[in-house]
Amino acid sequence: METRPFFHLVFRPNIKLVSTVRRFTGEFYRRVLVDQELASRLALATHELLENAVAYANDAETAIRIEIEGDLLSVKTWNRAAQDRVNDIRSSIDEVMAAPDPDAYYQSQMTAASKRKEGSGLGLARIRHEAEMNLSYEIENDKVCVRAVAKIVGGLNP
Amino acid sequence: MTVQLPKLRSPVLSGDAEIVGTVITARFRGTADIEAKPELDQYVKALHDEALRVTATKVQIDLRELEFMNSSSFKVFVTWLAQVQELPAEQQYRIHFLSNPNMHWQRRSLAALSCFAVDLVTIET
Repeated sequence: METRPFFHLVFRPNIKLVSTVRRFTGEFYRRVLVDQELASRLALATHELLENAVAYANDAETAIRIEIEGDLLSVKTWNRAAQDRVNDIRSSIDEVMAAPDPDAYYQSQMTAASKRKEGSGLGLARIRHEAEMNLSYEIENDKVCVRAVAKIVGGLNP
Repeated sequence: MTVQLPKLRSPVLSGDAEIVGTVITARFRGTADIEAKPELDQYVKALHDEALRVTATKVQIDLRELEFMNSSSFKVFVTWLAQVQELPAEQQYRIHFLSNPNMHWQRRSLAALSCFAVDLVTIET
C-alpha cells in the first residue's frame, strides 16, 4: 500500500505552541478533507496528542507527522520521556483500546475525572470516543511514538 | 440583581456573565486550553458559588465564540456538573449550553456532557 506522508513537523516542546500547531493542522485538515466534521475531530485529537507529548517530553524535540495510508489518516507524535511516564503511556493506551464500548469508557473516565485533583485523565478516552480514532504506540527505550488513526470518510479534496 | 463575578481574563480566554431574573448567562471567548485552565477553573467555581448565592434556576453557558476546549478544561465542566448533581434537589439548577454548529467539536463534547448529567444539561445549537 502506498504511504503518502503529508507533513512532519518538529518543534521544541512548549505547551503554548500546542494551540498554534492545532490551528495549523486544523487548517490543513480542512483544506485536504472533504468531511469538515472529520477535520474537526482530527484537530481535537492532534491537540490532545501534542499536549501529552509536550507535557512529558524530557528532551528538546517533539515531532508530529500526519500521513495518509490508503483510506486511513494517522497522526503520530514522538517524544522522549522518563521511564515511569513511558509505562503510564503504555498502560493508558492499552486500557483505552481494551474498553469494548468507547462511549461507556469515556463516561466512566469523566466520573473518575470529577473526583481527581490533578490532571484530567480524559485525553486518550476523548480521542477514542469523540475523535473516533484508534490508538497505538511504539516504544523503544525512552522514545515514545503514539499513533491515532481515523478512517477517511468523504474522500480528499482535489 | 447584579451578578457578582469578576471577568475571566487569561491571555487566550475571556469570559463574562450577566443575570436576568433567575438565569445567569456566562459567555466564553477564545481558546480553553491548558494555558487558560487555572483561570477557567477559578471562574467556574465562582460561577457555581454565585448561582447558589442568587438561587439561580438556570445557568446558560454560551460557547458560541469558543474556538476550542482541551480535556483539562473539559474536566472543569465535568467537575462542576458533578458538584451540581451532588446538591440537594432544591438547590440544583439547570445548565444550558449555547453552541456553535460551525465549531464541530462542540457537538460531540457537549453530547458527552449531556450524557454525564442528563437531568441537568440541555444544549442549544
